[in-house]
Amino acid sequence: MPPAPDWVARRLAVADVRCWDRAELDLPAGLVLIVGPNGAGKTSLVEALVLGCVGVSPRTAREAEIVRRGAEALHVTLDLDGPPGAHRREIGFAPGRGRRLRLDGDPVRTLASWRARAVLVFLPDELRAVKGPPAARRRALDRVLEAAAPGFAEDLSGYQHALAQRNALLRRVRAGLASEASLPAWEAPMAELGARVARARREGVAALAGPFASWLADLGGGRGGALRLETSPQGLPEIAGDALEEALAEMLAERRPREIQAAQTLSGPHRDDLWIGAGDADLRREGSQGEQRTAALALLLAARDHLRARAARPILLLDDVLSELDPVRRRLLLEAVRDGGQTLVTSADPGAADALAAPPDAVVRVEDGRLHA
Amino acid sequence: MLTPSIERLVSELARLPGIGPRSAQRLAFHMMKAPPERARGLAEAMIDMTERLRPCSVCFSFAEAELCPICADPRRDASLLCAVEEPSAILPIERTHEYRGRYHVLGGALSPIDGVDPEDLRIAELVARLDDDGVTELVIATNPTMSGEATALYLADLVRGRVRVTRLASGLPVGADLEHADELTLGRALLGRRDL
Ligand SMILES: [Zn+2]
Repeated sequence: MPPAPDWVARRLAVADVRCWDRAELDLPAGLVLIVGPNGAGKTSLVEALVLGCVGVSPRTAREAEIVRRGAEALHVTLDLDGPPGAHRREIGFAPGRGRRLRLDGDPVRTLASWRARAVLVFLPDELRAVKGPPAARRRALDRVLEAAAPGFAEDLSGYQHALAQRNALLRRVRAGLASEASLPAWEAPMAELGARVARARREGVAALAGPFASWLADLGGGRGGALRLETSPQGLPEIAGDALEEALAEMLAERRPREIQAAQTLSGPHRDDLWIGAGDADLRREGSQGEQRTAALALLLAARDHLRARAARPILLLDDVLSELDPVRRRLLLEAVRDGGQTLVTSADPGAADALAAPPDAVVRVEDGRLHA
Repeated sequence: MLTPSIERLVSELARLPGIGPRSAQRLAFHMMKAPPERARGLAEAMIDMTERLRPCSVCFSFAEAELCPICADPRRDASLLCAVEEPSAILPIERTHEYRGRYHVLGGALSPIDGVDPEDLRIAELVARLDDDGVTELVIATNPTMSGEATALYLADLVRGRVRVTRLASGLPVGADLEHADELTLGRALLGRRDL
């Protein structure tokens, strides 16, 4: 089977997104550098591109924030190439009226049928994926798995739904409002879907670990880079095949008395964590800011390799990452993404690409709410 | 711009499912031009229905008498009972012509998040019918949603060993209501029902 074509954003048009009144941007397939002073709107372009792919912002859950002040609605039009072919994707958002989605001019009702998991984003606060709470690392891992395997997102949201129902019932039982007789009815889907989630995470982490170690070394983060899934409860997902579902079901049944007391489900895939380290060092807790940043970038590049092998190579969006790297690591990163599909890098430094052996495929200058190609 | 009586009708119509303000206006303007008997006929039909309807005392579907037409029909097989969430699921099953038994409307599906526990559904009434009616097979036709599946599982555990319990075969669109399934798919799901 020939490899799936890479995801490539060909053209981005935005209207009334944050500081942008209107902007149109043609993009080549390779490395694109977006330079301009801080506050000029570089990140908003990255945000618009993410909106055009997945329909939600990587920066905020309150979409009204993204609409330019004084404007009624925002619009993003993205011409995107990828495995499903070339399509024109449109998203509009008006506070109070919600989201409008179109694909090649036709309205699309649900986000799930419109969404293209075509981007991997690094925002300055992406360090959360390394040093944040377990939920942040789990989320970062799950995003990659969702893009890699079509069924994962459904399994995960199904598991979370069943978990929420069981937790609600545990609270009602503790409060004396309900009997525990219907607990098993929620534990069955939790065990079935939880086993699939746990297995996908285990396989995903195993596949990411190798590329992570080599990217960490390439980016100057040293040898011995390692990823491990810290499962909840410990050791459970190592159980093979159908036995895993049974083990999860048994665990849930066994812990009912204690979990009624706690009014919540204390262990299971919703408590998994990702161990990120170099040698014996736990980078999540012991790493310096610089080491954590390098690890986050190595994780992102490993994810890109993984998606390329499993689904299609995604677009890499690196927002304002260069300023935090020393000149050596800066060059290492730019060389690393040089021939790796489409990558957009924003920087406040006009000479950001000077160290590269060959110039980027495009340099876009952003100034005073205008674009200069 | 509109007179108070038109506005009242438009706002009442707009509360119906699937009817937005614009369609409501179109309907109101249509009634305006129609002869007065039409409006009276429509209004009377609506009042008549709401005043006559009550739950069937056996299956809790719609009835205009003590029993609904299905429970009152002696030709229906009493040993076969089909549990559904809402009365609206009965019609699509009837249209398949693959089912000859009777029904039981649970009145919803389990959802602790919404405070719906087994006691809030007509489960005790269902269990009582198993003995009273001499039921040999309970077909669980709750919706193919997580709540529907959990309800099916709970019911199956509850009556296991007393009657044969079956569930519609998979193949129905997951996450949707039964009323949105097409006849052919639903008919196949009924014929291919499996033991739970
Ligand atoms: Zn009846």
